[in-house]
Order: sequence, then C-alpha cells, then structure tokens
Amino acid sequence: MQITANMIQRGAKAGLETTWELAKVVVPTAVVVALFKASGLLESITALFAPYLSWFGLSGDAAVVLFSGYFINLYAAAGSIMALTLSWQEITICAVMLTFCHSLLVELPISKKAGSPLSYIFFIRLGCSLAVGWLLGVVLS
Amino acid sequence: MTVLWEGFVQGVRGVITIGLIVVPLMIVLEIAQGNGWLQKLNHYAAKPFRRIGVGEEGVFPLVVAMLFGLTYGSGLIINHVRTGQVSAREAKVIGTFMAIAHALVEDTIIFLVLGAPLLLLLVPRLVLAFAMSYIVSKR
Repeated sequence: MQITANMIQRGAKAGLETTWELAKVVVPTAVVVALFKASGLLESITALFAPYLSWFGLSGDAAVVLFSGYFINLYAAAGSIMALTLSWQEITICAVMLTFCHSLLVELPISKKAGSPLSYIFFIRLGCSLAVGWLLGVVLS
Repeated sequence: MTVLWEGFVQGVRGVITIGLIVVPLMIVLEIAQGNGWLQKLNHYAAKPFRRIGVGEEGVFPLVVAMLFGLTYGSGLIINHVRTGQVSAREAKVIGTFMAIAHALVEDTIIFLVLGAPLLLLLVPRLVLAFAMSYIVSKR
C-alpha cells in the first residue's frame, strides 16, 4: 500500500470543491425548510389532502406523517407517528411510502446538482410512493 | 428575520458536517485509486449495475449513496462528472437509482424501530430503483 502527499492533496482538493458545490445547494435549502416550517404551509397542505388518504388505506390523521416526511425529513415523520395512535398497518404503509419519497425540499436540489432533472426525479419518487402505498393499502386493509 | 437566520445557521452546520465526511472520503478514494483497490471493488460490484448501463466508474458513488446517503453519493457523482469518469447520461441513470435507494441503513432503522417490517422497507425500494433506472437507461 502506498500513500503519497500527492494523493492526499488531490483528495482534499476534490473534497473541498465538492463540499463547496453542495454548499451552494444546502444553505439556501436550509433557509427554505426553516421558512416552510414557520409558515404554517405544512398544516394547510395536510388539511387539504387528508380526505384522500383513504385511497392508501390510511386515516386522515396520517396526512401529517406523510407530508412532514415528504417535505421535511424522516425524523419529522417518525415524530408524527409517535405523536399519533395509528394501527401497525398504517405505520407500515406510511413508512414504506416514505422510503421512496422524503426530505424533498433538501434532496431534490441535491439530485439536480448531481445532474438529474428536478421535475422528473420528483415524479418518479412521488409516483413510486403513491403506487406502492396504494398496493399496500389494498393488501393490508 | 430570525427564521431566515436560523435556517442559514442550520445550513452552514450541514455544510460543515458534509465537509467533515466528504474531504476524508475523497482522500480515501484517491488512495484507493492509486493502489488499484477501487478498480477491483468496482469490477466485482459492477455486475448487477451493468444491465442498467452503469460502468465500473459509477459503482462506487452508488455504493456510497446506498450506505451513507444521497448527499455523499451525489458529491461523488458531481466529482466524477467533473473529472470525466462518468458521462452526463450515466449520471442521470445513477441519479435515478440513488434518488430512490439511498441511506438504506439509516432510513430503514428509523422505521424498523417503529415496527415496520424490514423486508417491506428494503425490497420494494431496491426493486423499483433498478426498474426505474433501467427505464431511464433505455430512453
């Protein structure tokens, strides 16, 4: 095994350049997430979509789990699950739906930075989430 | 105003965390490349990904994304595209795969703790990641 100063230098340079590229996405996104949390938008969206959750075998309450996961992150979704009383079927359906599609405010810009169009990553992730959620809803309930 | 500031501070913290992981990761990557280990790993791990049009150079970013998360895998892709190791087309296929299947350890544990079954958390994700990136690779 061989470690040269040149390797360390090149690696550090590549690492710093990459961190800078990601910083240009991560910092603005963090501001957007903070605004989103403070704006009350999450509550409005949750109320708007709650009636449609029966399509996935979920009660209206579960909307807050899905949307906090979709927009913010999986820890926010897990927190919502713990705050509610959901059946294990509902927890499983939410969990599996969220594995495909989560932290969108943060992850979509990162995907874009890595060379994939934003809208198409969004539709693929949401599409997978809704399709599998519907299927699980049919199977489990 | 405080909300904006809090968001900014959160973002800067995030960037520091990313840097603390990405810089050592890139150094390890250079050492692994210089010693020919990466070529070996890529060669053996590449098989399942060949069908979706991902060459050996693209395998390492995929493995990193699956283990550590989308940000780190994407960081490697950004670097690989810049250095010409991965084409823009390949980056799209890899990007699709890792957008669906990433941070498999962390994400799975979060819901495993809450009682969701392990296989349902992992299998659909991997299957659809392959299926979607296959479709993208054929377009």
